[in-house]
Amino acid sequence: MASDEPLRLSVDIGGTFTDLVIEEAGELRLFKSPTVPHDPVQGILDVLRMAAQGCGTSLAGLLGRAQTFSHATTRGLNAVLTGNTARTAFLTTEGHRDILLLREGGRRKPFDFTVPFPAPYVPRSLTFEVPERIAASGKVLHALDAAALEVVCDQVQRAEVAAVAVCLLWATINPAHELRVAEALERRLPDVPYTLSHRLNPSLREYRRASSASIDASLKPLMSAYIAELTARLQEAGLTGRILMVTSMGGVMDAKDAAAAPIVTLNSGPAMAPVAGKAYATADLGADTVIVADAGGTTYDVTLVRRGEIPSTRSAWVGEEGIGHMTGLPSIDVKSVGAGGGSIAWVDAGGLLHVGPQSAGSVPGPACYGRGGTAATVTDAVLVLGYLDPLSFANGSMTLDLDAAMDAITRQVAAPLGLDVIAAANAVLELTTEQMVRAIEEITLQQGIDPARAVLVGGGGAAGINAAAVARRLGSRHLIMPAVGAALAAAGALMSDLTAVFSATVPALTTAFDAERVNAALAQLRAQCTAFAMRIGADPKDAAITLFAEARYPQQIWELEVPLRYPAFATRADMDRFIEDFHATHREILGISDERSAVEIVSWSARARIALGRSSALLTARAPEPAAISSRRAYVRGSGLVDVPVRPLATILPGETITGPVLVESPFTTIVVADRSTVELGRSGSILIRPIHTAQEEREAA
Amino acid sequence: MTSHRDGAQLAVISHRFEAIVRRMSNTLARSGRSGVLNTARDFSCCILTAEGSVLMTGQSPPIHVMGGPDLQAQAMRQFYPSVKAGDAFLHNSPYHGNTHAADHSILVPVVDSHGRHRFTVLAKAHQADCGNSVPTTYMASARDIYEEGALIFPVVQVQQDYTDREDILRMCEMRIRVPEQWRGDYLAVIGSARIGERALLQLGEEIGWDSLDEFAAAWLDYSEARMAATIRALPAGGAITSTCHDPFPHVPEGVSIQASVTVRPEDGIIEVDLCDNPDCVPSGLNLSEASSRTAALIGIFNSIDPTIPHNQGSFRRVRVHLRENCVVGIPRHPASCSVATTNLANRVGNLVQRAMAEIGEGIGMAEVGSGMSPAEAVVSGIDRRAGKQAFVNQIFTGTNGGAGGPATDGWLTMDDLGSGGTLLLDSVEIDELKQPIIIHKRQIAPDSEGAGRHRGAPGIDVEYGPHEGELEAIYANDGSVNPMMGARGGHAGARSAQFKRERSGTLVGLDICGPVRIADGERIVARTSGGGGYGAPETRDREAVADDVREGWISIARAIDIYRVAIDATGAVDHVATDVLRAQATTSGKNQL
Repeated sequence: MASDEPLRLSVDIGGTFTDLVIEEAGELRLFKSPTVPHDPVQGILDVLRMAAQGCGTSLAGLLGRAQTFSHATTRGLNAVLTGNTARTAFLTTEGHRDILLLREGGRRKPFDFTVPFPAPYVPRSLTFEVPERIAASGKVLHALDAAALEVVCDQVQRAEVAAVAVCLLWATINPAHELRVAEALERRLPDVPYTLSHRLNPSLREYRRASSASIDASLKPLMSAYIAELTARLQEAGLTGRILMVTSMGGVMDAKDAAAAPIVTLNSGPAMAPVAGKAYATADLGADTVIVADAGGTTYDVTLVRRGEIPSTRSAWVGEEGIGHMTGLPSIDVKSVGAGGGSIAWVDAGGLLHVGPQSAGSVPGPACYGRGGTAATVTDAVLVLGYLDPLSFANGSMTLDLDAAMDAITRQVAAPLGLDVIAAANAVLELTTEQMVRAIEEITLQQGIDPARAVLVGGGGAAGINAAAVARRLGSRHLIMPAVGAALAAAGALMSDLTAVFSATVPALTTAFDAERVNAALAQLRAQCTAFAMRIGADPKDAAITLFAEARYPQQIWELEVPLRYPAFATRADMDRFIEDFHATHREILGISDERSAVEIVSWSARARIALGRSSALLTARAPEPAAISSRRAYVRGSGLVDVPVRPLATILPGETITGPVLVESPFTTIVVADRSTVELGRSGSILIRPIHTAQEEREAA
Repeated sequence: MTSHRDGAQLAVISHRFEAIVRRMSNTLARSGRSGVLNTARDFSCCILTAEGSVLMTGQSPPIHVMGGPDLQAQAMRQFYPSVKAGDAFLHNSPYHGNTHAADHSILVPVVDSHGRHRFTVLAKAHQADCGNSVPTTYMASARDIYEEGALIFPVVQVQQDYTDREDILRMCEMRIRVPEQWRGDYLAVIGSARIGERALLQLGEEIGWDSLDEFAAAWLDYSEARMAATIRALPAGGAITSTCHDPFPHVPEGVSIQASVTVRPEDGIIEVDLCDNPDCVPSGLNLSEASSRTAALIGIFNSIDPTIPHNQGSFRRVRVHLRENCVVGIPRHPASCSVATTNLANRVGNLVQRAMAEIGEGIGMAEVGSGMSPAEAVVSGIDRRAGKQAFVNQIFTGTNGGAGGPATDGWLTMDDLGSGGTLLLDSVEIDELKQPIIIHKRQIAPDSEGAGRHRGAPGIDVEYGPHEGELEAIYANDGSVNPMMGARGGHAGARSAQFKRERSGTLVGLDICGPVRIADGERIVARTSGGGGYGAPETRDREAVADDVREGWISIARAIDIYRVAIDATGAVDHVATDVLRAQATTSGKNQL
């Protein structure tokens, strides 16, 4: 790589590893180095140095050629989850101090009284009421009391907070009072960053807006500092290119914009996997409906692509649904379950097998890690079944203890179930597969996708173990395991666009439609998209703008997102097309439609997408060094432990079709094909698997 | 697959059944039209065996699914001994296993390709209106079913060959006040049941029907074994608890009831006896058989290990004794059961879990806040914001407090025992958009918690009124006279209350039952019930008390007087002064309630 060919870099910081993907002339290379929890930028510099060495150049040489540096981090998310964000005050309308405490009600486990009621994101003691009131129409019912506002500012000053969030009722319809509060804050607390709800998230429902504003404000001190430090250290090391942050919507934005609204990057971790999944499904199979399953050590994240679009949700939670906090902003729809290599298998008093929800994590980790863990985990079961090579785990960085795994599975699963150790290990894996399938079925159902008709894309370090079994259970025709699958998110960031989302709360009903008012709002949204393009230095002509309505039948509480076919509602026919589109979407996602009913639009939004360089081009992976074909004793359904060929990825040739059972090994993951499904190489260098579904197919293949 | 008794196979197939119920529920929640369905989440889905045993239940208000679906499925077998694919039955009869008339259930028999009835799926949803004589689905004042006025469907075929019997739907549309909303909800409920049916048919094809039957038997046995093992570990003993529902229309003294609970670890059985209670009353308060049994079962299952599956297997270990023509037993037609899922049902469940608490340390619960306060009224009036349109809607602006238990403080948005806290709370902005009202205040009521080692959750203060017009509010509260009791030395929660704030600002007390008219410039002021506490308050963790003071849940005075914790000027615990206070409490404060 000793040329001056420009490079693009992408770094994803995970809990265990910091992943780097480098793109040069359409070819991707993957590097992994341990995350440095107390100094994540150090972890980034480490993996960059490792890559520079691998490329035969210096760190400055590598960075000097980088046009862009894309970055996804869980720093903000971890801060929220562990309560390490800034001390933040919350200002709201008088009489409504408990917006953050009450949330939206709803208890997920009605019989479980061991879970305490969750604390509000900002404590009541740091919540201050502002005497004022605006009505749904925007009319001022109770003018803001200026003297009282000064008293509130005194209190906030005394509370010694590092950030302030403001959410007043109906500020989305009439922002005057929130703006008055902003003016007072700038005057009285000039060094304290603040967030106004109507600017950050102009949508209905005060809890969601208040939660957005509070999370955002609380992240500002931390994320501004982090982004400033990251920028300084990378530039010091030689970076001159643009620094981009990955957003929860699966796009990227300039680092300085991310620092101004840090909540936008909160869920950047899983948001890029569907971007990459979409690219590979298009490249390898020309498919546009995709399920992307990213399997890490502790969680299994499922995302989707529906007819080329990545569905988003406005009801995303940080932490557990119902007891965490809602971000209130659109983000890629992700279903995460706690199913990973560390999940613990156990048998209850009634003799029923369970996997999870407890996890051994990475410390002490599975019994086979030999770090003092004694619980039987999924990784132990995988090792017992012969799917992992004990000597070359995680690219040879670790040796696994097979005896410890056998012992744990025997004691904790096989003996209580009355099975032999192999059958017990297989049962653990089957139940894990079932949990993964359940996660996939849930999100596909919510988004109206038939999983059997979608292409399954597997990513993440642990993906290869269950992916073929999951595909078989779902009835999928195709499974794609991208060569960069172990760093799917980092690769996705190289394929994504610069994006921004704007929305407007202009409620409307199709039977009493004020087209003038709606069209004005749509024009305003388009103008915001154009302004965004200009601000980031792009030609507004290159901005792809999509308009959406968030709509429902009157009285429903869930909105469906329906794309608009036209930039404005010009004629009655435009409206009729929209109504038809809504009924069709409702039918697709919820199975029924009510043609006789009016349609209610709760809000309108616009998404701007500006392609970055080669992001849409086909990205292939550079093949690793070839290794020898070997074999290993591994479990095959119906045959027990048999010799199964082990094929290093680089030994599989284009055009070759391999019939399982086979284990395909790449430096960062092993793909298990434990039946007679077929395996071949895709155009992008991905592994393509055609799962076998029935016993009859199995016999025919034999 | 040799035997489903293998705990590994049992786990895998039970996941499949759970996923089907979840899928049914998700569809129903998202496609439902009425607020009571999609916001209050007042619906349930379950799968029953062909014989009518409840096999798998999902997340739903507990009052829906425990002791009724089996009776409903049995009624279907009795009236329709042979069922066909494509059949669906509408069932809302409280005399045939349904909860109350406002819950419309759809039963769909799952029939395999050989015409054999294999399972039954049931989806049940509370309706925005059910054709009562007045515009509420909770008609406390109804002296009998005739005065109540709802259309009753004792297992009526509503689909044949997957096609609606339109005459039935037309009957509903002629009688139900919001026919479009009802039709929308009907579509959602039948859609959910059909999704469950389709998924079960696929599962049967894939795994084999006989294997599924074997699974069902093994799953019920497993659940029963878990329940038996749990009961064997409980202390032996019995307790009788009593309470009184507040005075109501036609029952001026209220309704006094009691429950006798006996735990028999040696047999792995719990008995609940509700027989020693008054006859049915001329009021909508009477419980249906389904709600009597379910309320008792909720009290038991709230008191023990939550991971035990809730199905006919575990229910076999709880014997609920009911009497015919009893207000908390088996009603005799034409007694009205209009409010059978809330008022007395909550009282019964509370009695049972409090009795469990008195039987032994570490089990049971105090009493959950109860009553349908004006904070959850059906509001109606004329919306003049765009023309002149009538509106009628139930709002959910404030919930009752949850009960303290052995592990935690009460759940703040619990609302009541029957809902299990599953209800969603309305957004103020959504409520103000939907109807011309202004919600002036909604926040927790300090010092209204039932004090305890684990305190109950406080009530919520809600104040609202019409916006440029007037409105009528219908509600049916409880707990304004007889509060929710604590357990094991815990105190009662504060009483609920309702007032009208007149234009002058003066507060005037309101009746415990609506309707009430609120004129322009006036407001309703409601305080919901606080939940009872568990364990003596002077044993509460000191830091937790200081935290409650700092966060404004309780006053400093209450910390000192009730919890016996002194707080210093910085808000921290004054340990020396607290030691003194608590020493005094153990010698003198023992008879405090």
